[in-house]
Amino acid sequence: MLDVSRIQKELTEIERDKKTSGISANLCGDSDLAHLCGTIAGPMGTPYEGGLFQIDIRLPAAYPFEPPKMQFMTKVWHPNISSQNGAICLDILKDQWSPALTLKTALLSLQALLSAPEPDDPQDAVVAQQFRRDYATYVSTARYWTEAFAKGAYLGMEEKVQKLVEMGFPEDMVRTTLEQCGGDENMALEKLCSG
Amino acid sequence: MKVKVIQWHAVASWTWDAKDELCAICKLPFDGCCTECKYPGDDCPLVWGACSHPFHLHCIVKWTGTQNRAHCPLCRRDWQIQTETQ
Repeated sequence: MLDVSRIQKELTEIERDKKTSGISANLCGDSDLAHLCGTIAGPMGTPYEGGLFQIDIRLPAAYPFEPPKMQFMTKVWHPNISSQNGAICLDILKDQWSPALTLKTALLSLQALLSAPEPDDPQDAVVAQQFRRDYATYVSTARYWTEAFAKGAYLGMEEKVQKLVEMGFPEDMVRTTLEQCGGDENMALEKLCSG
Repeated sequence: MKVKVIQWHAVASWTWDAKDELCAICKLPFDGCCTECKYPGDDCPLVWGACSHPFHLHCIVKWTGTQNRAHCPLCRRDWQIQTETQ
């Protein structure tokens, strides 16, 4: 049985300071608390700066006694994240998980992982090898991938906001609704119309 | 002046003697109960680890049950229940 009250509490807590923390988490669909969509802002001073990275979050029924399953949906060039499928190599998402950790601390740890790659414990051997042997190329590849894949969400977002505002909805409401729907324009429109 | 007591109402309150307010596992108040229980107090007691971190008994038992070697969720030291109260 999913601990509904704890998850709702965690989402409220994340919502409260998402402006300063640079992370967010919302329901992916309408009602399934076990499937969440998170975002992480790329840390300043790294090749990931300026990107917005989407994280798919699945909560096992035993959460918080088992770690949440997290995966990058945005393609990213990083030694500890698979460039193929976004799988993450991070101890606290595996055997070092503790029920005192939360979705927020886990997402913040992912943000820290972007700042501090661990090439000696790689998820993606190709990236890790490049990181060790040719750091400059690693930085430019990572920056290029951020540019190509992690900024699309922002660009697309502004267009979607504009479209919905032109339909006559207030901008604030459009932004929050789009965020709740994980950027899905049609779902947001439906929600705006029914709300 | 003489006062005659006709009726009196005794009121008492209780609280767990824990420094933190929330159980780090279920994130619910210690003075409430864990997610499984309905009534706080003796039905849903607290325990302190040898490391001095408190949890709802039911929460920490659920956690240690999933571990081969149990660690405190807060400080990762080996989990042992504190035997003597200070």
